[in-house]
Amino acid sequence: MNDFTLIAINLFRKPVRTVLLVVSILIAFLIFSVMVSFNHAITNFNTKPNRLVTLSKINFTESLPYAHFDRIAKTEGVATATHLNWFGGYYQDPVKGFLPVFAVDPRSYYDVYKEDLPLTEEAKAAFFGERTAMIAAEAVAEKYDWRIGQRIPLNSNIFSQADGGHVWEFTLVGVFATPPGSSQTGSVIINYDYFNETISFGRDRVGWIAFLTRSADLNDQVAEAIDARFANSADETSTQDEATFNKSFAAQLGNISLVVTLVVGSAFAAILLIVGTTMALAVRERTKEIGVMKTLGFSSSRILTMVLGESLMLAFLGAGVGTAAAALALSALSSSGNGPPIYFEPAVVGWSALIAAGLGVVTGVFPALEAYRLRIIEALGRR
Amino acid sequence: MPTLLNQISAITSLNVKSLPQRAAMSAASVVAVALSIAVLLFFLALANGLSKTVEGSGSDSVAVALREGSTAELNSVVTRDQLNILAGAPGVAAIDGKPAVSGELLVIVDGVKRATGTNANMPFRGIGPEGIALRESVQIVDGRLFSPGTNEIIVGASLLREFSGFELGSTIRLRGSEWTVVGVFDAPGTVFASELWADLAVTQSLFRRPNVFQTMKFKLVSPAALEEFRNFAAADARLKQLEILSERAYFKRQASQSTGQFFFIAWALGVTMAIGSVAGALNTMYSAVAARASETATLRIIGFSGIATFAGTLLEAVILSALGGSLGVLIAFLFFQGRTTSTLGSGFTQLVFKFDISPGVVLAAIATSALIGVIGGFLPGLRAARQRPQLELAAQ
Repeated sequence: MNDFTLIAINLFRKPVRTVLLVVSILIAFLIFSVMVSFNHAITNFNTKPNRLVTLSKINFTESLPYAHFDRIAKTEGVATATHLNWFGGYYQDPVKGFLPVFAVDPRSYYDVYKEDLPLTEEAKAAFFGERTAMIAAEAVAEKYDWRIGQRIPLNSNIFSQADGGHVWEFTLVGVFATPPGSSQTGSVIINYDYFNETISFGRDRVGWIAFLTRSADLNDQVAEAIDARFANSADETSTQDEATFNKSFAAQLGNISLVVTLVVGSAFAAILLIVGTTMALAVRERTKEIGVMKTLGFSSSRILTMVLGESLMLAFLGAGVGTAAAALALSALSSSGNGPPIYFEPAVVGWSALIAAGLGVVTGVFPALEAYRLRIIEALGRR
Repeated sequence: MPTLLNQISAITSLNVKSLPQRAAMSAASVVAVALSIAVLLFFLALANGLSKTVEGSGSDSVAVALREGSTAELNSVVTRDQLNILAGAPGVAAIDGKPAVSGELLVIVDGVKRATGTNANMPFRGIGPEGIALRESVQIVDGRLFSPGTNEIIVGASLLREFSGFELGSTIRLRGSEWTVVGVFDAPGTVFASELWADLAVTQSLFRRPNVFQTMKFKLVSPAALEEFRNFAAADARLKQLEILSERAYFKRQASQSTGQFFFIAWALGVTMAIGSVAGALNTMYSAVAARASETATLRIIGFSGIATFAGTLLEAVILSALGGSLGVLIAFLFFQGRTTSTLGSGFTQLVFKFDISPGVVLAAIATSALIGVIGGFLPGLRAARQRPQLELAAQ
């Protein structure tokens, strides 16, 4: 029998107690993993470093004249530019059926976002060629059971057609995957020309312009040139890299990092106390036994290692189960198709291991030292 | 029966008086419950404060008309023609002989959140004197009202507290022209205090939306007049794409859209943490039962019943978790009750509100902590009641 087996046996000698401790530890790691993954998902995007967006300086909900797009596309240092309009789309129900729908120029949009738009050649050709074509994120198509070739009626909560109707029909020509970290924020993409010709107001305006610079080194220079070009006009612009824009948008929800820190801190503080006091009790209960082991020739440092080993094993057990539970919970949540998918952030595993090590040491060190210092005569004499 | 009650109270008081012997574990269990309750209260108070501010903005005797299916004011588009037709509808009240109606235009401009230094969406409302009159709680608290036809803005007091860029006397540039902030208004406890207001006609022309509004508001002669008003609109083909509801119902819907997610987070996190606390409480109670096995055995032999032993343990657990729950409520009151915060509301603009721990929220906390205590004490209580007294004593 090696020390590892002995530690494991010690840990499970009171199985109910150990299972309860594992439950409380796993809860803390579950909360930690889910919240950190969530925070990561809304603040980090795999955007290309040379992808920039030009928005109205007043606010990103204000539109810009179409002419801005032509001028930006021709700006020195801009490789490819495209434009997007917010359609205000929903399917069937205005609230439950809400969808981020963007009206875009298909070819240039594909050029700017192709890494995040895995489309078959067939789907691409149809998307580029048919005015009423639309493509959709896989999760959305699955949720509503849309098939390729199907005509889908989408409502706009903003725009109207010339006849006053709010419904547009599109043909689904392709679906695209949105893997973890995808910067594809739209769920449905439709054709700008078709959109622009059928709306009853707001024609020839674009929501915002996204473009690639020839090199990320040129970003600042290009952004300054564009904003200077439109300064003091009726439609002033603000140009920034996509990552910065996404971050500032997420910040509008509130100080999420602070909330995550407070909640995760509370969860860990609670288990630190529960596990710490229980470990102290568990070791105190074994006083006699430790005396016997020392009598048998176990060194004090070996006893210390064994107690620490036990608290570490407990912490890692809870952390492992908790992290796995978080991965399962997030994948279940993401596949439900409600809201944007939140993927389990792999970096969480490393952090969890680090925290588990800290938790194991902090909760085990005092009982371990007590066991280390314990004198045989006292141990065997204590009742 | 009196004997059983006497026994239960005797055992419970014995258990409670011996708590100091198990101080560390009992305290850990109390703190764990307190932290769970504090997290639950944080999100419940957030949702409640948000909901109260949004719902508190609506009146029963004001009707709101917006484009059908828009759900939020920002998306809606209605026309001056529609406003003119509805102004003559039955049930609309009059002010100085004119119908009390207000067409309003809402656009979003950037402000800077003081806490983070990041850009945030500020609602900028083009509004006429009728619109201000419709909002009875509004008063100018500093400076003056904007003059009609000028590039002047008044700023809501709540917005001013949380966001920078709109201090009294400061100027901002919008679409190539300078605007000056000339006044501060307040409408305590409503969403309006999170807005910027300017003259309707000037805003319409600046944002290229002549003769277009986002919403229309109508002061009704009484809440009951809404029915008649709606029937009038339903009968006119030019008004068929409009949704008409009372201002209170409109804001109630807004509130439920914004707060649903916070209630979900509150309970998802609260219940998850409570499960952790239950595990902690069970552990503490099992240890307590084990520690006093011989005392319990003695009590059983001198005639105390198993039920009394069970109840004593259960009550001890409930007392501990009630202590934890009270501590959690105390933390909540000390650290976040009444604090001002803001988030992106369902109107896609920032909404300033205060954390609000209502009696209902406290009740939810009490129920949750009681439940933790009952679950945490039940099984250990059974174990205590099932101990065989002779065997326990013989083992000593």
